[in-house]
Amino acid sequence: MSKNNVPVLEVKNLVKKFKNFVAVDNISFSIEEGEILGFLGPNGAGKSTTINCFLGVIKPDGGEIKIFGKGLIKNRSEIMQKVNYCSAEYHMPWNLSVYESLLVYSTLYQVGSAKKRILELLELFDVSDLRNKRIRELSFGQRARVSIAKSLLNHPRLLLLDEPMASMDPDVVDRGIRLIKKIQKEEKISILYTSHNMWEIEQVADKVVFINHGKVIAQGTPLELTQQELKLEAKEPNLREVFIHLSRRSLKEGIEGKGNPSTSLRVKS
Amino acid sequence: MNFTRVYAIVLRHIFLTMHQLERFADMFLFPIFGLLLWGFVSVYIGLNSAGLAAFLMGGMILWVVFERVSTAVGVDFMFDIWEQNLMNVLASPITILEYIGGLVVVAIVKVVVSFLVMLAIAGIFYNFHITTLGVSLVLLWFNLVLFATVLGIFNIAIILRWGHTVGPLTWILPFFLQPFTAVFYPVDILPNVLQKIAWFLPITHVFEGMRFAMTSGKFDSEEFFTGLFFNLVYFVFTVLFFAYMFNLVKRKGTLVKL
Repeated sequence: MSKNNVPVLEVKNLVKKFKNFVAVDNISFSIEEGEILGFLGPNGAGKSTTINCFLGVIKPDGGEIKIFGKGLIKNRSEIMQKVNYCSAEYHMPWNLSVYESLLVYSTLYQVGSAKKRILELLELFDVSDLRNKRIRELSFGQRARVSIAKSLLNHPRLLLLDEPMASMDPDVVDRGIRLIKKIQKEEKISILYTSHNMWEIEQVADKVVFINHGKVIAQGTPLELTQQELKLEAKEPNLREVFIHLSRRSLKEGIEGKGNPSTSLRVKS
Repeated sequence: MNFTRVYAIVLRHIFLTMHQLERFADMFLFPIFGLLLWGFVSVYIGLNSAGLAAFLMGGMILWVVFERVSTAVGVDFMFDIWEQNLMNVLASPITILEYIGGLVVVAIVKVVVSFLVMLAIAGIFYNFHITTLGVSLVLLWFNLVLFATVLGIFNIAIILRWGHTVGPLTWILPFFLQPFTAVFYPVDILPNVLQKIAWFLPITHVFEGMRFAMTSGKFDSEEFFTGLFFNLVYFVFTVLFFAYMFNLVKRKGTLVKL
């Protein structure tokens, strides 16, 4: 809970339909202050749609989104001042240098002492030497690091990370995870983190919400989910197996008519 | 309206322009070559009619103001789509009003630069000084820029809805309007039916007003207020149309797919 005992992010009965397709089906969950929530699900499960609803760029058909205890629709600008977002899918301005891009975003988020903050983050993510390079000249991994740096510019209280390390090599992922954890602890940031790399989620997440066909089908700590879904007396989390198990179970239920079969999964259980 | 966030959009385009020489071409070469072409035509015509030559030059200069502002708003929006940067911007605290406000400011700054270049060339090479219109020129500018902004917002609305495949309309739409707006000739020249269309366009009144001011040395307030009236009507309808489209793409989820 935050200082006022209000969750940083609270979603109640969120629904989003695209014509007859239900992308997000009545989901509810919350993120407390300083908590990292792993938001998992197969491709097309509704993760990005849900995050886009949190950003206010997709309009939900039903339900309620509260961030810092305030309704998102009416207080979007004020809320987004303390929220940030990073996705491997979107880029920083290609033709601007790393420093210029970050300066533009610092201005958008009205960051005080912008120059100092930018240099601090470039240093932290080991990209100081790239500050004058244009974004388009960077490798995928370098771009991803700059994007994560951008997402921390405004000292966010809530960070939405949509597969932020999708294009990084294992060494960089490892270092990225350590940095995110360090910053999260120091600044008590709450994070919603999606990834298809279960190792990443095991490293960072305090809690996991697993969705498929737009529905929350399981939630708990990584260890709880492992014990609960794999029926094991496990001592270590094994989210990879949990992911496969839940995805296939969900697919099977869909085939048997208990839900919509996933269009993205073609695995037989 | 938060002006720091508007400034962020301006800053983004200042950096973009500094890095891309072709963006300077937009600001300088297009107006220069256009003015050279129409300048020589005016010189040729001026051998028989100095007044007509002045109308052509004045029409050309004011047309560039309109066309550049309208195009710049749409093109600068598309830059954020081409660079896949739009989502990062829209995920920030900026409101759509501030974002478009930033694009309009950038377009106006650019057109001021283009305008000054054209003034210099017209003065030096053709001894044509549109600034003699004085305050009239400022008011003509106001109506031109307002309608260009309206058209720019309309362009963004249709790009939002149908994607950047309809982006070329940004360049084409002003030229669709050009024959009806009496840039280079009086409205009376047009056939009756087209005249009726022409009078509904705010910038027709700008060009008619310009010719009146050049001929009489007086400001035609009736043309100004008629143009302003139509501008305000189109502005209200375009803003409503934009708001509808923006809402629609957020509902359909296509905003994030641009």
